[in-house]
Amino acid sequence: MTRYLRLMRLFTGATLSAQLEYRANFLGAILASLGEVGVALLGIGVLFGQPGTETVGGWTFREALLVTGFFMLTEGVISVFIQPNMSKIAEAVRTGSMDFTLLKPLDAQFGVSTRHLNVLRVGDLLIGLGLIAYAASGLTVTGGGLAGAAVLYLSAVVIVYCIWLALSTTAFWFVKTQNASELFNGVFGAARFPVTAFPVPVRALLTFVVPVALITTVPAQALTGTLTPALALASPLVAGAAFVLTRLFWLRAVASYTSASS
Amino acid sequence: MTTPTPDAAVHVRDLRKSYTVHEKEPGFLGSLRSFVRRQSREVEAVRGVSFDLAPGEVVGFLGPNGAGKTTTLKMLSGLLHPSGGELRVAGFEPRRREADFLRRITLVMGQKQQLIWDLPALDSFLVNQAIYEIPDPQYRATMHEFTEVLGLEGILKKQVRKLSLGERMKCELAAALLHRPRVLFLDEPTIGLDVNMQEAVRAFIRDYNERYGATVILTSHYMADVTALARRILVIDQGQLVFDGDLARLVERGGGGKTVRLQLRRPVTAEALAGYGSDVKVDGLSAELTVPRAEVSPRAARLLADLDVADLTVEDPPIEAVMAELFGRKDREVVRG
Ligand SMILES: Nc1ncnc2c1ncn2[C@@H]1O[C@H](COP(=O)(O)OP(=O)(O)OP(=O)(O)O)[C@@H](O)[C@H]1O
Ligand SMILES: [Mg+2]
Repeated sequence: MTRYLRLMRLFTGATLSAQLEYRANFLGAILASLGEVGVALLGIGVLFGQPGTETVGGWTFREALLVTGFFMLTEGVISVFIQPNMSKIAEAVRTGSMDFTLLKPLDAQFGVSTRHLNVLRVGDLLIGLGLIAYAASGLTVTGGGLAGAAVLYLSAVVIVYCIWLALSTTAFWFVKTQNASELFNGVFGAARFPVTAFPVPVRALLTFVVPVALITTVPAQALTGTLTPALALASPLVAGAAFVLTRLFWLRAVASYTSASS
Repeated sequence: MTTPTPDAAVHVRDLRKSYTVHEKEPGFLGSLRSFVRRQSREVEAVRGVSFDLAPGEVVGFLGPNGAGKTTTLKMLSGLLHPSGGELRVAGFEPRRREADFLRRITLVMGQKQQLIWDLPALDSFLVNQAIYEIPDPQYRATMHEFTEVLGLEGILKKQVRKLSLGERMKCELAAALLHRPRVLFLDEPTIGLDVNMQEAVRAFIRDYNERYGATVILTSHYMADVTALARRILVIDQGQLVFDGDLARLVERGGGGKTVRLQLRRPVTAEALAGYGSDVKVDGLSAELTVPRAEVSPRAARLLADLDVADLTVEDPPIEAVMAELFGRKDREVVRG
């Protein structure tokens, strides 16, 4: 375990120094972060913009802002930790550099998942946390609610990671997977609003088929103390199941690896 | 047949690998057609290869392009799962990719690189040190030794992208051997290097083999690599072993001819030399012809008697010619020398 932590520290150091080589990229990244916040806030603005609108789907403005905060935080987690690694899987399979990952006496899934980091987007994480803090400051939040939200948000991150890994792992068979991650981004966009703001059929789809609800709405509900016990249990269970399934899928993919020639 | 060695470093029996390839016709219409109906076909890259290597042995693994060398090495290092046959390396089954197995082997591919492109090689070494859990004193000792043998000082702190091909290859080798593996799979480690750099890489491999008693399989299209390092040669062609034995025996059985070179005082025509041997080449006052091995002495005596010869030498044909002859052969029986 400590070995894995040590390795993560080393990988982080290496990826940080590699990115410092290209300083010009920082400005672009900051603009991208600001753009994301702008879009998310604009969405809320439109929903609550009409005069006289107090709540949308049972959510007050502050509560909806909480969901936006979790959305931004998740965007940050994806762009800092998940996407930089997952987008390189297809590339590694195509060029055959996956060989070196598989030759190392280190769990290959750990290797492909922790090797890279995009520090340029750390701003998204901070903006997300800031939004959550601001929204929560106007609500009554208990210690239990906070702990519950933390656990549920962790489950949410595991679920997001599993979806990305499963989509990226298809690269072992299809080589090109860009479309897969665009698909994820398209569906995930729905998570910037509370799921209860959607019509019932869509809501069911977003909870059970693509568990977008579990990612942002559920942690927000835990913070505000409006979460049903069923949903509170569902999130960690789905996360556990997703992790086991993607793990099996990954092992299956590695077994059928054909390693690009030469 | 070689008898299976019980404590062989590498044990290969009837190894097979077939790839499924999807055929695609060129052009957009071809793409569309193969998108609708995927045509797939089995390619048998390795078809029943068997051999054993003793610990510390260095063998050259030769064969024309597409013969199945890289495929074999990838199976030996656990990257590819064999379609059939039996495989043991350092007592492990490679396809399971156990950590203890991976610590004992390395695979160097001249065409691929593991070093982090934007960082100095030293950073990649530190990452490997942590992955292989190399204790600090051992890391320092190995680095010291590699720096000396490979001449690494001065290039370890430059970003990898700024290194020349040869410098990068030296660093690649160091990164791949940092954990002191017992079994080395080297796939064209000298490709694209100039003669001096090739020699440096060879010297390093020889030194490593002697120092640690490591087992080495080396593929190369440069015969000098193989003749300098390996006494035993495996030749593979179209997925099957066609020769397994001593380098000297390979040369001997390669066609039964020797090359006779003549330096003449008076020009002759190729026709005039046709009676003394085959493959006659004449260039001004020099000439060259191939003579059957058993006939070398009488033919040389006749040439000296009949023509005005200034100088005459007899040579084994270059190994390249032997290989060309071997691959051209139709009978595909394994020859064990
Ligand atoms: N990933 C792959 N998918 C499909 N076919 C492959 C793959 N890799 C190799 N092959 C085929 O298998 C055969 C053996 O290839 P291999 O790379 O093992 O040859 P090689 O002896 O290393 O050749 P070279 O000297 O050119 O490196 C070739 O016909 C090649 O086209
Ligand atoms: Mg090859």
